[in-house]
Amino acid sequence: MLDTKNPNPTLIDRLESGEALLPNTPENVMEVVGILKSYAVVLDGYSRNLNFFAETQFLLVFPFFKYFDGEITFSKLLRHWWHDRLNFEYAEYCMRGMLWHGGGGLDEYLDSPEFMANSQAVIAAKFKHNLFASATNKLFPNFLPEQLRVCAYYSGLGQFWRVMADMFFSLSDRYEQGEVTSIAGVVDHIKNELVAAANDPITYAVKIDQQVYDIIPASAGLTFLADTALPYVEAVFFRGTPFHGTVTYNAKEYQIPADQAQFEYGALFADPLPIGGAGIPPTLLMQDMRHYLPDYLHEIYRRSRRGEDDLRVQICISFQKSMFCVTTATIFGLMPYPLDTTKADERKANRRHIQDWLDRLNNSRLAEVNS
Amino acid sequence: MLSVLILLPLIGAALIGFLPGGIAVKTSRTLALVFAGLNFAWTIVLACQFNLGQITQQFAEFIPWIDELGLNYHLGIDGLSLPLLILNGLLTCIALYSTDEAIQRPRFYYSLILLLAVGVNGAFLAQDLLLFFLFYELELIPLYLLIAIWGGEKRGYAATKFLIYTAVSGILILASFLGMIWLSGAPSFALATLDTSVLPLTTQIILLGGILIGFGIKIPLVPFHTWLPDAHVEASTPISILLAGVLLKLGTYGLLRFGMNLLPLAWENLAPLLATWAVISVLYGSCCAIAQKDMKKMVAYSSIGHMGYILLAAAASTPLSILGATMQMVSHGLISALLFLLVGVVYKKTGSRNLDVLQGLLNPERGMPLIGSLMMLGVMASAGIPGMVGFISEFIVFRSSFPIYPIQTLVCMLGTGLTAVYFLILMNSAFFGRLSNQVLDLPRVYWSDRMPAVILAILIVIFGIQPNWLLRWSETTTTAMVKTTNVVGLNAESRRG
Repeated sequence: MLDTKNPNPTLIDRLESGEALLPNTPENVMEVVGILKSYAVVLDGYSRNLNFFAETQFLLVFPFFKYFDGEITFSKLLRHWWHDRLNFEYAEYCMRGMLWHGGGGLDEYLDSPEFMANSQAVIAAKFKHNLFASATNKLFPNFLPEQLRVCAYYSGLGQFWRVMADMFFSLSDRYEQGEVTSIAGVVDHIKNELVAAANDPITYAVKIDQQVYDIIPASAGLTFLADTALPYVEAVFFRGTPFHGTVTYNAKEYQIPADQAQFEYGALFADPLPIGGAGIPPTLLMQDMRHYLPDYLHEIYRRSRRGEDDLRVQICISFQKSMFCVTTATIFGLMPYPLDTTKADERKANRRHIQDWLDRLNNSRLAEVNS
Repeated sequence: MLSVLILLPLIGAALIGFLPGGIAVKTSRTLALVFAGLNFAWTIVLACQFNLGQITQQFAEFIPWIDELGLNYHLGIDGLSLPLLILNGLLTCIALYSTDEAIQRPRFYYSLILLLAVGVNGAFLAQDLLLFFLFYELELIPLYLLIAIWGGEKRGYAATKFLIYTAVSGILILASFLGMIWLSGAPSFALATLDTSVLPLTTQIILLGGILIGFGIKIPLVPFHTWLPDAHVEASTPISILLAGVLLKLGTYGLLRFGMNLLPLAWENLAPLLATWAVISVLYGSCCAIAQKDMKKMVAYSSIGHMGYILLAAAASTPLSILGATMQMVSHGLISALLFLLVGVVYKKTGSRNLDVLQGLLNPERGMPLIGSLMMLGVMASAGIPGMVGFISEFIVFRSSFPIYPIQTLVCMLGTGLTAVYFLILMNSAFFGRLSNQVLDLPRVYWSDRMPAVILAILIVIFGIQPNWLLRWSETTTTAMVKTTNVVGLNAESRRG
């Protein structure tokens, strides 16, 4: 047995035998698939908006209509003011989380001279007739490229979520067709789709005056899994997620670690219960997902003691369960050797890999979803 | 007209009590609510026909009863009793509505609540000392049974303690009443014909002492208060609502009606002592409230403190202070009823009132945010935050008492600050922070749980914003009471003039 800090070493055995972090029960399967179905609808909207922003709203000083996806009508404006829309802000918070925490090839590329050269070309084309912007760019040469870095993350996350949305839609279809019946089946589906999309290129280009300008060209060699999926998991699952109102941290009380790698405020760690006074929503994401829950999930929630009074908390709990499935798929997808290997050194390396992941999950909600 | 307020709940109590044993629980509950609703509606009818400018008793009813004893069935209302009658009507409805539908022995329970309404209505209506005493005593029996049968774990102890204290209270009140009648040579127990000015001052002081202690137990004033926290803690929520909301007011009503009104000379002599007594009650009640861990006990001690304000205003005895005292009676009735109601909902849903256990109940998803918000409104009203009825009544009390007893008034104002302290402790412990793990899986709070509290909260705000809708009923009466008794306030005012 290897040394481990993990309080629950049986989880290592469970993962080694191909099972998931989340126990396999019919209700868990239903909850996870149901919540991922609603998540897929929401991600679909988020990814469209992120890509729309990256492609058409880049370098705009006041992108007033960035949540309109190019369709600006009075009725849509009224719906926007009435807040009858997706909380696209959530997608932006996730994007900023990735930008802040960095990591992966995208982060490295955005600091490269190649990106600077590409961005200067875009800036020059965009502000060809704008003396003020051109002068500003000369005075503050890092300002506009930084805006394009942000846009690159808009695009990166948009492309990542496009794949994830389709993956969760197909998971739901397969579940409804009876092809997926267990948590292991859910994890398998996610893992296979992740692996299938692993080498899909991540590129970003904008069009100015009918001319296309590459910001992230294919030649940069950025790929789906290594350069967007893993940085996303690191930033949003582990380090910090915009779950507004769930928990507040006081930096002055040293509740926030100085070392970013020590952050443990991601989706896997978030307390689903809102803290503080009345009226604070658990998260924008939960608010969005509640509109697209399948009937069978509503039925599960209605059976709880408070019915659907605490719907957003229940969604949050289900969402965390589903994210542990995605994490399991990621652990399996990045396993150094096949799980069923018989070679001792390969088994040892696999075990070390699982242990490293589980050590990071020590303070997560893993115990709660397993209880 | 006034007998309706006695007969309606009495008929209701008898009807429910004699319903066949197998009748559905819902039927007795519905019947009780119908009779209580009619009773309340009738008080509103009376209020609509009430002449605001008339000094004397209105809608008087007189039926000779036992001539030999000088006892007559004599009812009447004025600006002092009318608001309290309406309050009793409202709180009886709310108490019945808040009762658990699955309560054991429902027919007996609902009958007793209506019987309690008979006793309280009768006491507020009585214009005859002996008749008042009979109703005052009548109210004890159902209340004792309601605590003893449907109370908490130590209900026997609390009910017995309540009975002993209030029985002593009754004896002292009866002795004082008899003393006033016999020594003054009055031909009957009628309030209107009683003239105690013929009695020597010492006799008046002794008689007033009996009344003060008798009603002081009921209010309750320190040190006669110890029955109240026990009774509240052991009583079920609807009974606590009635106890704090209206039954304690019998004490302050009696003090004003029979103490200040009938023995003005003695009152004038004892008034400084009464003001000091009020200070002690306010500070002691507030300090005890700060030390409590049981939410209900905290609200109970808060009641003791807030009833002290009424004594302070009564001691000052100016037209404005007596108006303030009346206002404080109604205000405290509404606010304490709201607080006990909300504590009851919290207890029903969480199974605890312990401030060490409860936490984060304001949680918008899994807590009880509306109940918490109403609780916040209730404690703000109790602490005298402007915009609510508590502020108006306390402001009038302090404004009118300050010229007469500046030191006592200032110290009592400190009590208002202490109210904010203990209620902040309550709110902070029970409602803020993360929902405690012990009460994580709370059942749903339904609108039926919230509705009575919402009604009380609306009234608290409405009367806070438009106090004249409350004050107008009592102004003529309270002014007349002070003028006819010519007591402390007027003397002090004339001295200043």
